[in-house]
Amino acid sequence: MSYDTRLEEVVGVVALTGITDESLMAAHLRGDRAAFHELVRRYGDRVLGYLFRMAGNRDQAEDLFQETFKRVHEKAHTFRGPRLKSWLFTIATRVAIDAARRRKRAGMLSLDQPSDCGSEEGCSLAEMTAASEATDPADDLVQEERKQQIRDAIETLPVKQRATLVLAYYQQLSYREVAQVMGCSVGTVKTQMSRALARLARRLPDSLSVTK
Amino acid sequence: MNEHRTEQQLIDYAFQLASEAAMQETRAHLEACQACGQKLDALRAKFATLDLLRDEIPASDDLIAQTVAAATAPEATRIIPIWRHTWLGAAAAVIVVGAALLVTSTFQTRPAPTETATRGRAYEKAVAKEEREMRPTTESMGLSTSGRRIAADSAASKPSPIASESFPAPAAAPGKPLTMMAAAQKLDEAIDEKPPFAPASAIELVVLPRRENVQLTIYNSADLTLVRERRNLTLKRGWNWLQFMWAQTLIDPTSLTLEPLEHKDQVEVRQLVFPPRLRELGRWLIRSEVSGQVPFELTYLTSGLAWRAFYMGTLSADETTMDLEAYVRVDNHSGEDYEDAQTRLIVGQVHLLDQIRDLAQRQYAYGSPLPVEGWRGGVAGERAAEDRGELRRELAFIQDRLDSLAVGQELREIRKEGLSEYFLYTIKGTETIPNTWGKRLLSFEAHDIPVTSLYKYDEQRWGTQPIRFVSFANDTEHELGETPLPNGAVRIYGRADAEGRLSYTGGTEVKYIPVGEEVELNLGPARLVKVAPILMELRTENYVFDDDRDITGWDEARTWKVEVTNARTLPVEIEVTRGFDTPQWELTLAGDGVAYEKHDVTHARFKLTVAPRSEEVFTYTVTTYHGVREEVFIKRQQEQQ
Repeated sequence: MSYDTRLEEVVGVVALTGITDESLMAAHLRGDRAAFHELVRRYGDRVLGYLFRMAGNRDQAEDLFQETFKRVHEKAHTFRGPRLKSWLFTIATRVAIDAARRRKRAGMLSLDQPSDCGSEEGCSLAEMTAASEATDPADDLVQEERKQQIRDAIETLPVKQRATLVLAYYQQLSYREVAQVMGCSVGTVKTQMSRALARLARRLPDSLSVTK
Repeated sequence: MNEHRTEQQLIDYAFQLASEAAMQETRAHLEACQACGQKLDALRAKFATLDLLRDEIPASDDLIAQTVAAATAPEATRIIPIWRHTWLGAAAAVIVVGAALLVTSTFQTRPAPTETATRGRAYEKAVAKEEREMRPTTESMGLSTSGRRIAADSAASKPSPIASESFPAPAAAPGKPLTMMAAAQKLDEAIDEKPPFAPASAIELVVLPRRENVQLTIYNSADLTLVRERRNLTLKRGWNWLQFMWAQTLIDPTSLTLEPLEHKDQVEVRQLVFPPRLRELGRWLIRSEVSGQVPFELTYLTSGLAWRAFYMGTLSADETTMDLEAYVRVDNHSGEDYEDAQTRLIVGQVHLLDQIRDLAQRQYAYGSPLPVEGWRGGVAGERAAEDRGELRRELAFIQDRLDSLAVGQELREIRKEGLSEYFLYTIKGTETIPNTWGKRLLSFEAHDIPVTSLYKYDEQRWGTQPIRFVSFANDTEHELGETPLPNGAVRIYGRADAEGRLSYTGGTEVKYIPVGEEVELNLGPARLVKVAPILMELRTENYVFDDDRDITGWDEARTWKVEVTNARTLPVEIEVTRGFDTPQWELTLAGDGVAYEKHDVTHARFKLTVAPRSEEVFTYTVTTYHGVREEVFIKRQQEQQ
């Protein structure tokens, strides 16, 4: 990318921050690259957070992130509105579910297994959160154990239940929005959520006292 | 106090997953039940631990920049090594088509070598320009191969071009054995093991002779057709490029396979590449130890071809027999003309993960290719192939069985085992089905099939009009039974007069009819047969009272007169079904000539024959028992048994 192009993009993004999602999509469909950049920037954190919790590993989450926005780019013409957020999460969910199935087919271990944390990209969720928040090594250990328990509990959920839980609980989508994302009824979402929580209730630690 | 809430109920309450009524009920319960309140608090505390993972995961600027760059990058070439998809070979059983270069006759009209040499450069320039300006509107499916340009067989010219790339190649004498050709090419000269990086920029587009043969296998349930073509390619010894274009067609480019039918140990298809900036076009790299003609089979999946069966039955004058003609209509909207195609039709569900139509209309065969830089291990290409693996395996499974049969059989059952059922219908001979055309083909004819006509009257099912049925069986006694009959529309005609003119009697849709199975065709309401039930009397009796003089049981007796009118010139048989809405009923017929049977627990069925242009009347009284009288009736029934 030449310097000039990059500069144009930055100027474009600054100007685009106040524009609605629909206008951004329309501009993107007209070939405005800055509009697409703004879309990725606007929803990047939420989508990456969602994929991170689905995949349990930053590296894989970033791969899925790229894949998600690649599909957004390719399928932009199919967006019918009005909620871009739901549409984005629909695509991200498909990407995450596809990846989970491939991983299952391939018999791969969870990428969230303890690993060396030589670089930020190589860290697991637990390692990253521990590194960023903890100051006391003993507390770090307790905190990390609890997070590991939670992560393990979420990891055991079937992929659709996991997606429902992450969307509704962590991404704070309404059940109706989750239903749109998952392509099912609100009743089905509630059933999935209910089952996921019942399963988690059996696996989560009993007491909290986790805050330092 | 109500029973304690279960953990599930408390979870549903805490996360507002229960219905409004259940929420209110639980809320009221929790106000009064300390134990459940404590249990709910414990659950909330437990779920609060989930917040430990609520950390924000920011997408870095670098990641965003990489993502935007990857998603918006201009397309790059993706090379799909054939050997990585060995299943494509297996699927070749299912997929179809042979690509070929030159037929013998073309050599006879080929320009002299010197002429070709002198024209070569100018032609290459012209073709290079043509390639740059390639537009889908000017293309159809087609093949080209590297090698000396060979003049087209003008008789075989069609819009679907098969193009040849201009590498120097040996001339093949018509019908000359390959070994002789190879000898002329210095067999001892080693072929460079390193394949050419890409086909030369200049592509000669040469219309090749018509396909040697083409076979279509249409899977109706999935908008899926397997095409198998055979063409004779002329290869030079060394590396050859074969170009395939699918613009304006519904071909799934990821399903393309190419296999030599002869010299398999000397001819190897190495790669299929999709050149940059050239959409809807792929090129195969072929390594050949021989020079001359080699028959190839090209197979692929396409969408846009469909077939449906329909039938025309003609009843005899006395309506005791019927002639049946079965037809198949094949419609071609695939974007490609198929000339003299052997057509095979499959009945059976095919598990389809992707719509071929969607795949065909994708801009790139394996998704938008990304440059290596910025590519972070995404798997779009592999996924596209993986997802269709299952389909290919299933199709290969079917095709294996199809291949085991002799070609040209008519309407033959293939297999019926396991979880899947497939039946194959082969249309005799070959048919030309141009794009956007439909064609009606006769499937079979059967004459003098014994049939039974029956009229049925059942108000609860069909209202107040009798319905006409014609029934027969798909077996040898009924002049059928050679094959299952695919589902389709049936139209029945009767003889309107002595001269044999036909009149439409009725029509219906039939489902798939296996051999040996009876079929009953519902021809719709009968206008010339009427049934009129008239309630003549209603009385209640045998009242039973309890100690408070309240009614606790009674009988109802209804007397019905049923008039059946036949305005036809033929006698008709009719079944009249009457329902009583209770299992406790008794029926008494007045007079003779009509019989009835208990059809089910709440229905009686009367059967009678009505002479031409006459009326039959029968009367019956049905008594139903209610309240405690039901018990009296049941007890009496038990005693009688």
